[in-house]
Amino acid sequence: MTMTDIMPPGLALKKVDERIMTLNVGPQHPGSGHMRIVVQIDGDYIVACDPDPGYVHRGEEKMAEYRNYITNVPHLERPVIHDSCNVLYPYVLGAEEILGIEVPERAKYVRVICSELNRCIYTMYWLAIYGIFLGHSTMFMWPAGDRELLIDLMEKVSGARVTHAHFIPGGVRNDLPANFEDVCLRQVNYFEKRIKEYAAVFYDNPILISRTQDTGILSRENAIRYGTTGSVLRASGVDYDLRVKAPYDVYDELDVHTNVMKEGDSYARSKVPWLDMIESCNIIRQALQKMPKSGSVRTKLKPNPKTKGPATVYKRVESGRGSLGCYIVSDGKTEPYRVKMSVPSFRNLLAMPNLLIGEKLGNMPSVYWSLNYWPVEADR
Amino acid sequence: MSAIAPKFKLSEFIKSLLDNIFWIVLLVSLIGIPAIQVILFYIEMPVINGELLTPFLAMTWLADPSRSLPILKAFMATDMFRVMAFPGFGFAALIAAGTIFVERKMLAKLQLRVGPFYCGKIEGILQLMGDGLKLISKEIIIPAKADKPIFWAAPVIFVATAAAFVALIPVAPGWVVADVDLGLLGVFAVIGFFPIITILSAWSANSKFPFIGGIRALFQMVSFEIPLILSLLGVVILTGTLNLSEIAASQSSFPWIIFLPVGAIVFFITMLAELERIPFDLPEAESEIVAGWLTEFSGMMYGLVQLGTYLKLYAFAGLFVVLFLGGWNGPMVVPPFPEEILTDGIVMGPITAKFPGLPLFDQQMLNGTLWFVLKTVGVIFFILLPRGVFPRIRIDMLLSLGWTKLIGLAFVNIFIALGLLYAGVLGPGGLQ
Amino acid sequence: MSSDSEKPVAKAKPEEKPTPPKPAPKPAAKAEEKPVELPAFEKGISDKLVEKFGDKIEVDFVKEDRIGIKTSKENVHDVAQFIRDDLHYDHAESVTGVDFPADNEIEVVYHLGSYTESSLARQVLTLSTRAPRESHPIPGQDSTKLPSLRDIFYSVEFGEREVFEMLGVYFDGHPDNRRLLLPEDWADLPPLRKDFAIKGR
Repeated sequence: MTMTDIMPPGLALKKVDERIMTLNVGPQHPGSGHMRIVVQIDGDYIVACDPDPGYVHRGEEKMAEYRNYITNVPHLERPVIHDSCNVLYPYVLGAEEILGIEVPERAKYVRVICSELNRCIYTMYWLAIYGIFLGHSTMFMWPAGDRELLIDLMEKVSGARVTHAHFIPGGVRNDLPANFEDVCLRQVNYFEKRIKEYAAVFYDNPILISRTQDTGILSRENAIRYGTTGSVLRASGVDYDLRVKAPYDVYDELDVHTNVMKEGDSYARSKVPWLDMIESCNIIRQALQKMPKSGSVRTKLKPNPKTKGPATVYKRVESGRGSLGCYIVSDGKTEPYRVKMSVPSFRNLLAMPNLLIGEKLGNMPSVYWSLNYWPVEADR
Repeated sequence: MSAIAPKFKLSEFIKSLLDNIFWIVLLVSLIGIPAIQVILFYIEMPVINGELLTPFLAMTWLADPSRSLPILKAFMATDMFRVMAFPGFGFAALIAAGTIFVERKMLAKLQLRVGPFYCGKIEGILQLMGDGLKLISKEIIIPAKADKPIFWAAPVIFVATAAAFVALIPVAPGWVVADVDLGLLGVFAVIGFFPIITILSAWSANSKFPFIGGIRALFQMVSFEIPLILSLLGVVILTGTLNLSEIAASQSSFPWIIFLPVGAIVFFITMLAELERIPFDLPEAESEIVAGWLTEFSGMMYGLVQLGTYLKLYAFAGLFVVLFLGGWNGPMVVPPFPEEILTDGIVMGPITAKFPGLPLFDQQMLNGTLWFVLKTVGVIFFILLPRGVFPRIRIDMLLSLGWTKLIGLAFVNIFIALGLLYAGVLGPGGLQ
Repeated sequence: MSSDSEKPVAKAKPEEKPTPPKPAPKPAAKAEEKPVELPAFEKGISDKLVEKFGDKIEVDFVKEDRIGIKTSKENVHDVAQFIRDDLHYDHAESVTGVDFPADNEIEVVYHLGSYTESSLARQVLTLSTRAPRESHPIPGQDSTKLPSLRDIFYSVEFGEREVFEMLGVYFDGHPDNRRLLLPEDWADLPPLRKDFAIKGR
């Protein structure tokens, strides 16, 4: 007997009467991403919703058990290649802790800069899709184009445009290129000027506001109860940002402002990441100023680092989507015994069925994507 | 041996050219010439040099330029020409093609892109042709459980209805396919067909997303037809006629938009909704219901629906111009036809070419067409513009907009028109 | 974290209680090496738990910002209830299953955090429990079962579903024990068990 016999494929949605229509939104659907949402609609209202992720499940956690601490670096960033520095960050922090590696001061600043750049790169991609989900094609093209500014910066830093694999246990792979500070400052300043222009065409657009305000309201209590994180949580009025509340690396030396909105609707959830991008620009400027001008960026490692015995570590960082945790269990070998990524998309997914039930079908894309959900990351 | 065509042989290339020429000649002589003969039988032939042209003579005289122009002119006087070419289908399709090109380039500039760029060397001007060829060469896939006859017929009927709409739009004085006395009522009747076609095709596809899209289109079009009709009543009250040509002619001194701006605005918004343009493209809302009622169309069936959509776009823009912007009226900018060509012909050194039958179009008609096209293109521009600025709205917002605000504004417009009439500003004894 | 180097760890009470056998990879270093002062705040929380449950729980480690609690599967529901109601941890960040074939057990680890209590914002409480493991699993119908914490921490819903399909741990009382990520026709071993081997590795 196999698992299939116990749990036949299909959905737990109840058998329903004739007037209710079951829609398979995805995985081949322009408004679903790499996942399937099974919704049942009564007229224009969603009465039942069952998200079905897993179409891009790649077994990253299983793969991590077969590779040593260094070779895990390039593939663990795959779940969110647009946010590849942040998705790798907790793993690297955890590996440093259990392997007992000290990180040079300059490397910590480089990490902060790369992490914030990646957060903007991811959020711009997310914003582009949010725009096209609402039928706003200009808001699809502008962020997708302006994102190039920061991608070029990251290319200068790491040599790769999206999959950087730049953070490694012990620091970062390479030092910043010469003259990077000036270029970075210039690009980031222009980037900030550009994204502030989005308010006129998108965030202050009366149609957008009337469409997304008061839809998919996630109350403060429910946001906490569902364990949501990141922008979803902050849009529901919970002031929680790991960069402030539990600073890692050098975030405690930087002045980070947390953007919180009280409404908890789709509009707030779409606006908080945009405010976070402006905040990221501030953080980058601060970090560029405070960074030691020279010094090592990497601690030399032994060829196959291993822990001194069994150890566990749980580290979390604030990624572009929220708190991203990594739980590493080690048994003293060169490979980790178990690596678990606690990803924000997976946590925010739980809010989706609860938010969509009772909504209109036309609100489905905006509510769905405002959850800052990245299907590939949730599937790992 | 070139890398592009490694098996190239000059002899075979020449043979293929000769083959092509042979087939062209064969097809023209077997099909083309008889077809022209058949057409000529139905054309009222002119009298040239005191002799009535018959189709048999026409073939021999086609080669003579001095006699081909009168035949062309005679052809242009037929209904067939009007339906197929000038104020009818061909002209509208040309403007529709231009609209698609302008839309893509303008949207691209708005969004800091380049848009179509490579096809046709100059700014991707042949992109549309490439897209059309692609659509033609694509396989047409019919859903297994579709109601096939209706599903097949839907795009064709859609284009036909759009073309019927185009036929009612007067372009220049006297240049209209169907100059009916109840032209505006005809427009309303034709507009009423679109939701029926949409729901038929959506139902016949037997698929969920088209069905939802079709229902949405039905809601949207039916609820916006009422403010659409009401917003045009003001013009009808002021002009006292339903004939579109007469309405256009009545605006020789000033367009109605000066007196009826509210009606024009209401009509413009309802027009966007009837055309399913952003922000009212709910029936095709891609992120919600894939492509709405177009989801199951593939290949040239989809191409036909797109053609119909843009014909409809042109027709609505033309209707707006005729009703509110004065139709073909405008200052005379086209120079009169040079008389000496008529009398002396064109002197090219030793040769003097005389063209009896000129001018093909009179000055009035050219000027009217020019102004009509200019105004229509302007209106089309404003129809395209919201696509770069607005997101899509929701069906409940759309319906409440249509049933409350627009209908109210349309009534305000009617009262303005009645007030102008009874105050004697317009109408008999007034300005006009 | 610059200040977050390895803080050693304390066994709170090495009792004689029949706790599950020690895992092969022991998740903490021994405290006997040298007596280091434990972080006071975290120690206070773990002391509260020990006070309440006595030998039903075992404090695995107390580090800066991290507290590790182990308990048996019979007590995990009560402990979780206490953690939510009296210690004000309000959500689960992740549910992790770890397979220990040597001990013939599967460990399920809940990482709990708090949004409402600002003093707990840095803290993560690691609550772990163990279920018996069978070498020929029939997911859902063998003895590999644990009580579900979904009625206490709503946020574990998808996490427990994932552990069920990835390790075959059935959660009693979970309302929705279905597949989540794996294909619908998956008929092999639960893939995160150690005896499921990747081809070529």
